[in-house]
Amino acid sequence: MTTAVLAIGLVLATSLFIGVYGVRAARSTSDFLVASRRVSPNWNALAIAGEYLSAASVLGLAGLLLKNGLGTMWYAVGFTAGYVAVVALVAGPMRRSGAFTVPDFAEYRLGAPRLRKLCGCVVLVIMLLYLVPQFKGAGVVLSLVSGTPYWVGVLLAGLVVSGSIAAGGMRSATYVQAFHYVVKLAFLAVPAIYLVVHAGAETRAEALHPEWGTHFPETTPVEFTVATHFSLDEAVTVVTAEGEELELAAGEHSVGQGTEYVFPEGATIPHPAGLPELGSERWSTPLLDVGGYPLFETWSTLLAITLGCMGLPHVIMRFHTSPTARIARRVAVGVIALLGLFYLFPTVYGLLGRVLTPQLVMLQGTDTVAVVLPAQAVPGSAGTILTALVAAGAFGAFLSTSSGLLLALAGGLSHDLFQGSVPRLRLAVAVGACVAVLLALPAKMIDINVLVVWAFTVAASTFCPLLVLGIWWRRLTLPGAASGLIVGGVTATGAVGWSILFDTPEGWLTVLLAQPAAWTIPLAFLTMTVVSRFTRPPEWAEHAVLRLHSP
Amino acid sequence: MSPRREKLTSPQTRIALARGNRPAHHLLPVPEPVDTEAARRLFHAQRRTAVRTVLLLAVVLFGLSGAFALLPVLGQVRLAQVPVSWLLLTVGIYPMLFGLALWHVRAAERLENEAEARAADRAGEPGTDDPEGPL
Repeated sequence: MTTAVLAIGLVLATSLFIGVYGVRAARSTSDFLVASRRVSPNWNALAIAGEYLSAASVLGLAGLLLKNGLGTMWYAVGFTAGYVAVVALVAGPMRRSGAFTVPDFAEYRLGAPRLRKLCGCVVLVIMLLYLVPQFKGAGVVLSLVSGTPYWVGVLLAGLVVSGSIAAGGMRSATYVQAFHYVVKLAFLAVPAIYLVVHAGAETRAEALHPEWGTHFPETTPVEFTVATHFSLDEAVTVVTAEGEELELAAGEHSVGQGTEYVFPEGATIPHPAGLPELGSERWSTPLLDVGGYPLFETWSTLLAITLGCMGLPHVIMRFHTSPTARIARRVAVGVIALLGLFYLFPTVYGLLGRVLTPQLVMLQGTDTVAVVLPAQAVPGSAGTILTALVAAGAFGAFLSTSSGLLLALAGGLSHDLFQGSVPRLRLAVAVGACVAVLLALPAKMIDINVLVVWAFTVAASTFCPLLVLGIWWRRLTLPGAASGLIVGGVTATGAVGWSILFDTPEGWLTVLLAQPAAWTIPLAFLTMTVVSRFTRPPEWAEHAVLRLHSP
Repeated sequence: MSPRREKLTSPQTRIALARGNRPAHHLLPVPEPVDTEAARRLFHAQRRTAVRTVLLLAVVLFGLSGAFALLPVLGQVRLAQVPVSWLLLTVGIYPMLFGLALWHVRAAERLENEAEARAADRAGEPGTDDPEGPL
């Protein structure tokens, strides 16, 4: 696995080189401003896509597809559709407002320092929720390729990101991020195509026919790192760690932490309690179905992701590097094309993973499928190289997204919440990284995408109504915006947090808490409009709105 | 010798920082549109376009997922071995999203061009061309 470590090192070194070279090219403020106006829309779109494609896209999608089924790809659709909403609702007007961040926009539109602080708090919540899964992804990949424990990987990832920000690795952000898009696309696409071609006709057909059942492709040792309940459809004889044969009858079984069973080749894969049977109808129907209400879950998740995209602080910031509002809109259209291209590939890993590495589901390690799969599918050095490529791509995803997130977090801390200075910004980066690492340590068993969708849900329930109403509705007032932000933020953060931390009875309550976007977003919009109706907007409000739309 | 590195912030941040914790005395000056009525018309036209695009987006997303839920046959019919519903979700939907965004940009830019041309007409000048050229 040294190849993988080497590949990760190469990605890191190249990013630093581009960063340092870019810094040399642009030194003064005017250089930077002129350069940012001259960055062509294509580079800009590449950079936005590069920053946006996080560990959730590179690792999380394939893993969740393996575990929960085809419906997972709705996440990818939502991530892309979010940019359609951005094009239609915010890209142009945000550019014209001259605001770099959402708190800036709130200041422009409603003119109140206190609202700015409130927005700063929401930025912190969203960024932390988004950072934790990035660190989790990096920790998982690093521990997988270097064999170190998970916490070492997370800690190392935190050090690498803070270090690369300190060394200026992200300063010429546009080119570094654009480079990372290419890394992510190539390092996920090339192994995917190679795997499809070399998997053989039989494996390909099996991947496309889940109804044929899921079997262990070879004699597979499974070590349960956590206590697990699973059920078997037919009896199977496994070999225990002591070398004894053990007959497991069909039906429910529970195993303790550390148990090791060797499953024979061709045995039907057991499915852990609460998950759809691999390849069953529930698995292969393309709807999100975790709690038993597929259509509601799919729609709620789509709402959260599509509307949350526009509220992500690091997404909004990037539109300022377009010279005009028109180009900002066109850049967003380019991002849609780039995302659509990228999202063709995670499906390959998920589908092949069900055939070749189904044991990951029992090990609760599905987030690693994209890294584990190539070595399993293609024996020898080719597999090692492919695994190294995917690991490096995943690490690039983690590096670019978390650097952007950490900078947005630090900017929020030092500018919006406290009166900022450059040393404070550095301190804020360190503090932000520490908190994210501490939160990521106990998050090993939580799926990357659950955490990422949580961040999107909070963004969709807070900044989305603020931006949409602020841009398109003259009568939004300060009390309306503030109350809507508080209501949306508290309900969205609380509902998902509750469903992760506490066990809730099966049924509607669980689904409404785990997928709260369908009620928290309308609630936030309603609060903003109703409270605004009872208060008076200032006289200049209409001019502030009209200015956002004048060419 | 390299020039001193300066910190870059947006105009709003600079105003907020300069103001410190004192309350807002003045905002970033909002330039009065020359013709408020024309600006209002453009605003309403743009809002209609935006609503139309968002509604169409909702139709694509909710309609397709609804079709998967209501028509299980989409999962049984296969095209080159792949179930049609899988193809639609993993490949087919992206061109639709791209097309929708492109269509919106064209509509929004056309409205802006028309507004600019009308403003130029009133000022007695020939209409301005789209500075970025056709998309």
